[in-house]
Amino acid sequence: MLVRALIVLAVLGLAALGWWWWSRREGQVRHVEIPGALTPDVLGAPRGYRATYVQFSTPMCAKCPGTRALLQRVAAEYEGVTHVDIDASERLDLARELDIMRTPTTLVLDTNGVVVARINGAPTEAQAREAIDATPSPGTEYAI
Amino acid sequence: MATDIQIDPRGPRFGAAWTLLLAVLAMVIGTNSVGLVLAFALAALFLPGAIVGPQATVQSAVFKKWVRPRLAPPAETESFRPPRFAQQVGLFFATLAIVFLALNLAVGFYIAIGFILVASFLNAVFDFCLGCEVYLLVTRATRRA
Repeated sequence: MLVRALIVLAVLGLAALGWWWWSRREGQVRHVEIPGALTPDVLGAPRGYRATYVQFSTPMCAKCPGTRALLQRVAAEYEGVTHVDIDASERLDLARELDIMRTPTTLVLDTNGVVVARINGAPTEAQAREAIDATPSPGTEYAI
Repeated sequence: MATDIQIDPRGPRFGAAWTLLLAVLAMVIGTNSVGLVLAFALAALFLPGAIVGPQATVQSAVFKKWVRPRLAPPAETESFRPPRFAQQVGLFFATLAIVFLALNLAVGFYIAIGFILVASFLNAVFDFCLGCEVYLLVTRATRRA
């Protein structure tokens, strides 16, 4: 009985460690290069002319509604940034193709629809902004 | 999809603390008649949550009657679907534990209870829903289209 109690403590300790490691990665903005663009056709929604948040959610995802509200709010503050929410359990084709393993996962598309960043898990507001700030703002190409 | 029900997210968390307590007891007491009773108790607690939703569990009744009146209103509510799915996963493992015990497979019993132990611990202590995280993986693995 003592051995099993110690095993329980060890398992819970490992679970806590695993959670700490997992939550440290949560929301981190990773810059990626995926060749090929996601067209409005594939997304089922128009893209922003500066950048697009493509959020993958499922109905069973506890943090997805919060992330949706956050990204919609941040997107509204930038010019030319939009937010698209995709149900990954309905679009398994996209989820497989883009290797979506968990929800929420958010891809950030640049002006051409190319995936430039990936956020696994729920981002903070700062992380959501960081991903957009890394994309060129519209107008810079016209500056002299 | 049927209409959504919004619940206080602290309810399932409170419920997970009770699940955690029973899972710890089942692990420590082990594969005997008391362990079997505990596994049945876990399954019985998961059952209403798995079928109707977390708002129907015994723990949620306790939460509504004695805990929630003492708390401030929730900062936000959540859909009942993620915790209901988690309860279904829990029911699956509790049933598995009973089957393993009936087959006299002690290791299987401990592994099945171990999953409930870890999941309820993460939910109660860190507000992290393990069952919800695996939903997409399960869907990806089991559905073709």
